Amino acid sequence: MTDADPPTGPADGGAEAQSGRSDAENQERSQPDGTDERDNDPPVDRAALRTDVRTIEARVRWKWLLSALFAAAVAGVVIGALSVFALEWGPLPGVGAFLVVALLGGLHVVLLYRSWEYQVREDALYLQRGVITHVTSAIPFVRVQHIDTSRGPIERALSLSSLVVYTAGSRGADVTIPGLTPAEAEELQDRLKVLAKDTADEDAV
Amino acid sequence: MRLDPLSIPYRIAENSVRIGGAIVLAGVAGSGGSGGSFLQGALIFVGIAAVGVALVAGWEVAYHRRFRYDLTEDTFDIHSGVLSRRDREIPYHRIQNVDLRQNVIQRVLGIAEVRLETAGGGQTEAQLQYVNRKEASRLQEEVARRKRDDSEDTESEQQPPAGATGETLFAITPRELGILGIVSMDLRLVPLLLGALSVFGPSMITEVVPDTDQLFLIGPLVGIGAIVATAVLSGIISVLRYYDFQLHRRGEEYRYERGLLQRFSGSIPIEKVQTLSIRENVLARWLGYASLTIETAGYSPGQGSGARSQAAIPIADRDRVLELARSIEPIETFTFERPPKRARQRYAARYLIVVGVLIAGAYATTLHPDVSWPWYLTALLVGMVPVAAHLKWRHRGYYLGEEYVITRNGFWSQRITIVPAYRVQTVVSSRTIFQRRRRLASVVIDTAGSSSLSGDDAVAADIDDETAEALREDVADRLQAALTSRRRPGDGHPDSQPA
Repeated sequence: MTDADPPTGPADGGAEAQSGRSDAENQERSQPDGTDERDNDPPVDRAALRTDVRTIEARVRWKWLLSALFAAAVAGVVIGALSVFALEWGPLPGVGAFLVVALLGGLHVVLLYRSWEYQVREDALYLQRGVITHVTSAIPFVRVQHIDTSRGPIERALSLSSLVVYTAGSRGADVTIPGLTPAEAEELQDRLKVLAKDTADEDAV
Repeated sequence: MRLDPLSIPYRIAENSVRIGGAIVLAGVAGSGGSGGSFLQGALIFVGIAAVGVALVAGWEVAYHRRFRYDLTEDTFDIHSGVLSRRDREIPYHRIQNVDLRQNVIQRVLGIAEVRLETAGGGQTEAQLQYVNRKEASRLQEEVARRKRDDSEDTESEQQPPAGATGETLFAITPRELGILGIVSMDLRLVPLLLGALSVFGPSMITEVVPDTDQLFLIGPLVGIGAIVATAVLSGIISVLRYYDFQLHRRGEEYRYERGLLQRFSGSIPIEKVQTLSIRENVLARWLGYASLTIETAGYSPGQGSGARSQAAIPIADRDRVLELARSIEPIETFTFERPPKRARQRYAARYLIVVGVLIAGAYATTLHPDVSWPWYLTALLVGMVPVAAHLKWRHRGYYLGEEYVITRNGFWSQRITIVPAYRVQTVVSSRTIFQRRRRLASVVIDTAGSSSLSGDDAVAADIDDETAEALREDVADRLQAALTSRRRPGDGHPDSQPA
């Protein structure tokens, strides 16, 4: 699969879907005033803060691939050690296990990347992902407790960032959107912050 | 104010027993060095024990002298500590529950333990060990009253009159207590027990009754005996736990009392109620009884949440339970929408696989040269598959009302979870690879109160995938609608104010 995998959303995504960033830039261009002055202007224009269905950065596959390879290496070493020392079959089963796990992991990474979608709607943040189990979550802005961006070492090397949204719920109390560019993550954080603040005069439980 | 003086002897006894091991050890070591004379040894032992107890007594007297609590204008102050002093001020509006507990000895002495629970953190915020029983009730009352006053300052909601004595919503009758004993035998333990028996049973039996050729009779007898024993035991335990259960409504909270050996009294703040669940296991359902559980959530900014689950009604007639649930949340009449029939096929397929594995396992045992039994009889299990699948399907369902989402799950232990729309946290729909084959999906409605560890989430399981999508959107919309209507003053629930 290539990077030009078109998002399933509205028309503007198709032509320049080089990365998920294009949507964000469109969005910013369409509302040049930015987010600053919304704070002193209580009736937030929620419609303008909506986004189209966005996909995540293709580079995130490298990060996932790395962890898949790591898991494969662990599996290969364990099975290889078993076969060399316990069963005395030689190292080949270990190599085989590595290859099988790496292959499955790679496939999973490709499919997972293809499945990821998110969208900021009027009332809620929508996320969709999953390979074996497809999961769609709706996180109403009223329920957002706080929003983090996080960047691990691998993410920094790939210049990626993740956004973590926390709710007071018991299952899925924190939701992570991986594979965003740092600018995109920050922009999304601001957007959600404005939306959450606008609705947060409530007890969030 | 101080703790009850009677708490000194009680605490001395309690803590002497607690460090009794150390005292005995020191005593034995001390008397061992006495050079052999028994009398001398005993004297040294008693001496050391007396010193130990005296130390404890001194400590407890000091503890009592240095422990002070005060109800001030807007905080509950506790000054405590013998060597390291600790002063705490707990704002009334942060106190969620004031729980009282009393065991048998404490009841005889007329003292009680008071626990103040706040939302933040997992443990009890403060304990008063121990105060007079009357004083304990007064504290419970006083904190509730001041909490009410506290919140009345900040908002202009209509409040129910703060009656001195609340109305009693429910009191358990001896008949219901008996039924609770019968119903609450834990069926989940049975397979575990049978598993253990099949492993250890035979060798134990041959040890106890050697030379018998009627093992095939003894096996089932022991099994049945063990099941009856566990049932009786768990029945007795729940009778002791829920003896003389009472539920009152007092202003802004529900208060319950229960227990024979350990008397327990706690409160459920109404504004923190998240979900209600009505549970009934097979036996209870057959007898027409059910129980009601209230999930509450603690929330304080920056601390996340802690969920608590409290039995509001241990057992009552099903209609009565529904009526009580309605008095907490005004639920409209509801009828459940069952999953589509193809979900039943899914369960059948699942059970068929399980049965297939069992049959294969049974056959595999006969491969051992010493084992031979009619393994093919396990094939009879196949006949149970459609029944089980049907029952599972029959006891699932969901209902989407204007202000409530209600889900139903489970055959052996059925639970109906009632989620008010304004308590919804997130809505998640998911489709596993097997569900996708049959165009099915599950929708989880998450709240801050659901205890996902015990699998009590509100789940509309295995519904049509398009319906699931619509349900997810609808629930999210109902949440917004409910919040909007609750934001308008004088409309909706009396508990819409922030904590």
